Amino acid sequence: MATSSTKRSLTRFYWAWGILTVVGVVLSIWLPHRYVPRMMSNDGNLSLTTMILFSVLAAPVASGVYAAALHIMHADRYRGEGVPPAAEPIRENTKLLVTWLTVSAVLTVFVLVWGLGALAAENSTSGNPLVVDVTGQQWVWTFAYPGTHVVSNELYVPDNREVEFRVTSLDVTHGFWVVNFGVQVDANPGVITTIHTTPDKLGTIEVRCEQFCGLNHAFMDAIGHVVTPSQFSAWLSSQPQGA
Amino acid sequence: MTTTLEHTATSAEPRGGGLARHQNFGTAIVAGVILAWVGWFVARHLFWSGSDNWSDQVATMTATGWMIGFWIGIGAFNAPFRWLVGNDNSRDEDLYYAGYKQGRARYWKYTTDHKVVGVQYIILTMSLLAVGGILAMAIRTELIVPGTHFVNQQVYNSFIAIHGMVMILALIVAVAGPWGNFVMPIMVGARDMAFPRLNALSLWTLVSAAFLLVTVLAVGGLPVGWVVLGTISDQAGVGMDFFAMTIVVFTVSTTVASINLITTVITMRTKGMTLDRLPIFVWGTMITAVLALYAFPFFFVAELNQILDRTVSTSFYVASGGGTSWLQANLFWLMGHPEVYVILIPAVAALFEISSVMARKPLFSYKTAIGAMVALSGLSALVWAHHMFTSGWAPTLGGPFMVTTEVISIPTGIFFLVLVGTLWRGNVWMRLPTLWMFGFIFNFIVGGVTGIYLSDIPLDEQLHGTMFVTAHFHYIFVGSVLFGAIAALAFWFPKVTGRFLDERLGRYSFWLVFIGVQLTFGAMFLSGLKGMPRRDASYSLAFEHTNFISTIGAYIIMAGMLILLGAIITSWRKGEPSGPNPWHANSLEWQVPTPVPLENFLEDPVITQDPYHYGEELVRP
Amino acid sequence: MSIADIEPQSEMHGGTEGHHEDPVKVDGRQRVGIWLFIGADVVTVAAILFTYLYLRGVDTAGHWMEMEGYKGNLHTYAFWENQYLNGTLANPKAIYVGTLSAGLQWLTAGLTVVSAAVLWFGEKGLRATKNAKAFSPVAVVAMLLTLAGVVVSAIQLRDIPQIFVAVNDSITMSYTTYDSAMMAIVGSTLGHLVLLAFLGLGLAIRSARGAISGEKWYQVRLVRYFWVWVAISSVVTTLITTSINTVH
Ligand SMILES: [Cu+2]
Ligand SMILES: [Cu+2]
Repeated sequence: MATSSTKRSLTRFYWAWGILTVVGVVLSIWLPHRYVPRMMSNDGNLSLTTMILFSVLAAPVASGVYAAALHIMHADRYRGEGVPPAAEPIRENTKLLVTWLTVSAVLTVFVLVWGLGALAAENSTSGNPLVVDVTGQQWVWTFAYPGTHVVSNELYVPDNREVEFRVTSLDVTHGFWVVNFGVQVDANPGVITTIHTTPDKLGTIEVRCEQFCGLNHAFMDAIGHVVTPSQFSAWLSSQPQGA
Repeated sequence: MTTTLEHTATSAEPRGGGLARHQNFGTAIVAGVILAWVGWFVARHLFWSGSDNWSDQVATMTATGWMIGFWIGIGAFNAPFRWLVGNDNSRDEDLYYAGYKQGRARYWKYTTDHKVVGVQYIILTMSLLAVGGILAMAIRTELIVPGTHFVNQQVYNSFIAIHGMVMILALIVAVAGPWGNFVMPIMVGARDMAFPRLNALSLWTLVSAAFLLVTVLAVGGLPVGWVVLGTISDQAGVGMDFFAMTIVVFTVSTTVASINLITTVITMRTKGMTLDRLPIFVWGTMITAVLALYAFPFFFVAELNQILDRTVSTSFYVASGGGTSWLQANLFWLMGHPEVYVILIPAVAALFEISSVMARKPLFSYKTAIGAMVALSGLSALVWAHHMFTSGWAPTLGGPFMVTTEVISIPTGIFFLVLVGTLWRGNVWMRLPTLWMFGFIFNFIVGGVTGIYLSDIPLDEQLHGTMFVTAHFHYIFVGSVLFGAIAALAFWFPKVTGRFLDERLGRYSFWLVFIGVQLTFGAMFLSGLKGMPRRDASYSLAFEHTNFISTIGAYIIMAGMLILLGAIITSWRKGEPSGPNPWHANSLEWQVPTPVPLENFLEDPVITQDPYHYGEELVRP
Repeated sequence: MSIADIEPQSEMHGGTEGHHEDPVKVDGRQRVGIWLFIGADVVTVAAILFTYLYLRGVDTAGHWMEMEGYKGNLHTYAFWENQYLNGTLANPKAIYVGTLSAGLQWLTAGLTVVSAAVLWFGEKGLRATKNAKAFSPVAVVAMLLTLAGVVVSAIQLRDIPQIFVAVNDSITMSYTTYDSAMMAIVGSTLGHLVLLAFLGLGLAIRSARGAISGEKWYQVRLVRYFWVWVAISSVVTTLITTSINTVH
């Protein structure tokens, strides 16, 4: 049943695919760099890398579908009057189906392997973390440093040392999120949840609540600082030794 | 051919009906309000007012009174009562219940005709979308600039929860409700649903629940987010009691509807309608119904527990009593993820149907498409904890749930293959349904790809709880499901009304909504990347520009939807006549006259091939 | 032509009792319906048991059956309320009142199983003898057995021990997580039994009035399917709650 349509040119389709892929890759790299806040920990860097990697991988796939859709709109659109005549019936295309399944399976496996690897990296610990007790309550964060009596509403951590946040809540569930570290975990009443990360850049960090927690949820922020180890000890000893 | 029609038997008004002659939407509202008041009055005197739970007990009794009153008033209890006393409906009474010779009035009654129920679902869906849409506009208006200006925080916090739940209800029924009821039985060659009275029951229980949900706004709201997490909802007022009651009734409604849909497909198919000749939309609605049957009982139990916590002081979700809101989160998401596919699959299946008709080409990879929908449903039962990756619950299970979640991208990819494969090299008829279908393809790619980011735990630990998530699922729900639902509406509108949906207005609407979606949710992705948490009533200056764009985009969506509403109203009344089969399609719903007669078929049809035989030899019986 | 012009021209077929439809078809359809309904109910019961087992799993310290160590104090809630109001009770306090009688569940389960057996026996008789009038009293017996189960469950619910909590100016009551989960389970059993009683009463009246006859007995079988499932679920539930209850 070879008709004239089998010989139609796919040049435009490939061009569209190529151009859209290039645009996609450029956006995949530019948008995260332009919009994601400065990442200041190993986990934060990993998030950013993963985001860019996944976007770059998705670009040709998404572009392929878009190019096909555009090509259909251009080449397969019926331009006559009234009801279009029936097209050549193609019910199956085993080669295409197998290719499609293979490509999506390979991509999925890659994404999985990458993700599980990253997860393992994130879960590994140095064994000697600085512990910070984080307590959420409507609508403030407090940070306590076990072994000292320091209690603060600003978070101070030294760089290049693993920090373990032990997080809990006094009332409802909050979401403890250190934006620049790329880590978050819920603060639940009656339970302690932990996350850890290693800061690798000096500077100011932001803590936000990412779990809806009532009236002033939008304002449940805290400021933090990554400082050098010596600045950190100086800060600890300068603090009033609260209860 | 056992069911032959006996036209001659009743040409006059049916004599039956009894009590049902006096029952309609109006009496339902009146009876509901009266019994709600009775429940309120009794509860205030029955329960000890010194208790912490008193207001919740009163609210729960009030809501129960409303529900029972509404059901009595609409006539839902007539049939069970008559079954109990062994006094079953006569044929005339069944005819009366089916809406025989009742004109427009039957749309406001407990009518059993599946086509009436379908139209009632159209109206219900549009009403819910209107309520949810108004709330969305209020939310976006508040977020147009930093700071709180237009609605105060408490009201804003309620709006986000009610907007969420109303829209979820609307989208769950948006395709499966109207078209699963109106066209699906005709597609399989049935004269009605398997259980016509249960069909009316599922519709009217949902209406009673929808009213209660909107009432939440009037009784102190629901400032807890739509997932009503155990701990925060413990602080909510009586709005939470109404919400929990809404969900309990809603899950019953869905269960009843699902049983009806599945039974219809299994037992009511006409001669020759074998499973491999079923229209793909029928497969889609049936798979959806099976999934709903599995998923919604979890929501039912989740909210029953919450009602007990609030009214009798149990400790299911109360940390001080040894309970945990992680239990609520588990039960909620055991329902919550399957529910996403309960919403998505009917829209996708409808688009499959439309793609074949509009491309004048058989559906590409019919069996693979069914397999993909089955796989998606099966997997969706195993992925719920991906909503709890950052909750701290069972960190060791993160890996396994990441695996099940990401495997989902394979069946999802098949959807694109089927759609694009069907359209490819077809003679694509660029009518309104086709246009919205292309919109779906575009948006669903965006929603799908961003879903992969969120399934990756290390990345989710940055993006979870942010506007990125909100943007992602709005690309799915608005950009994909709503586009699919509108395509389905444009496609089957002629069958319901005998008229085309206005092509010109429909196109204006499409372009506005399409551009609006890209602006609103495209910019929302950027807000999320920048680190803006979701559900925030206000935000810092860093998020200023992207939020402004989102709000402008939302207004554009609103304009598009209003134009669509105008198109629906004007076309329904005086649109271009379409005839019974305007798309020259092959499936059964297009072979019956428009308007469709009460029992659909004069003679039971016999099927010899599937409805996708464009360009192929006709099989003669 | 608008929607209002659509005048149904033909008739519809029957509902529950088909008037001109093949009863075999109606039966087959309703059988599929009831199996699906049972399927949904299985998930519901599973979700309730999930709740029970989850709460038991969470409270590894064994506190799920007692709160703050105040266990086994058999005074009533009213007693402690009086103490509090008299000022003889110091603040804050949490007092555990009474203990739950989980064993009563076996009585309910037994009644349900027997009622299911009675109904099944009656159905067999109906199919063999085609005597609907004789079936009616059997349905009444089955219904009464479920009503007895309702009473037992209600007693069990009433006796679920409360915790009396007095904190500063407010007194409230509460339940341990074990008692909470038991309340859901017993409540679910009670709800199912009420439904069975309704169905049993309907079968009794219908067979007495001739709506169920020697020929039209299939409704009895439909009800029996559900009845047997409820019996099974009550046994399974009771097995779980009586064998997996404390934390070791
Ligand atoms: Cu918070
Ligand atoms: Cu999910």
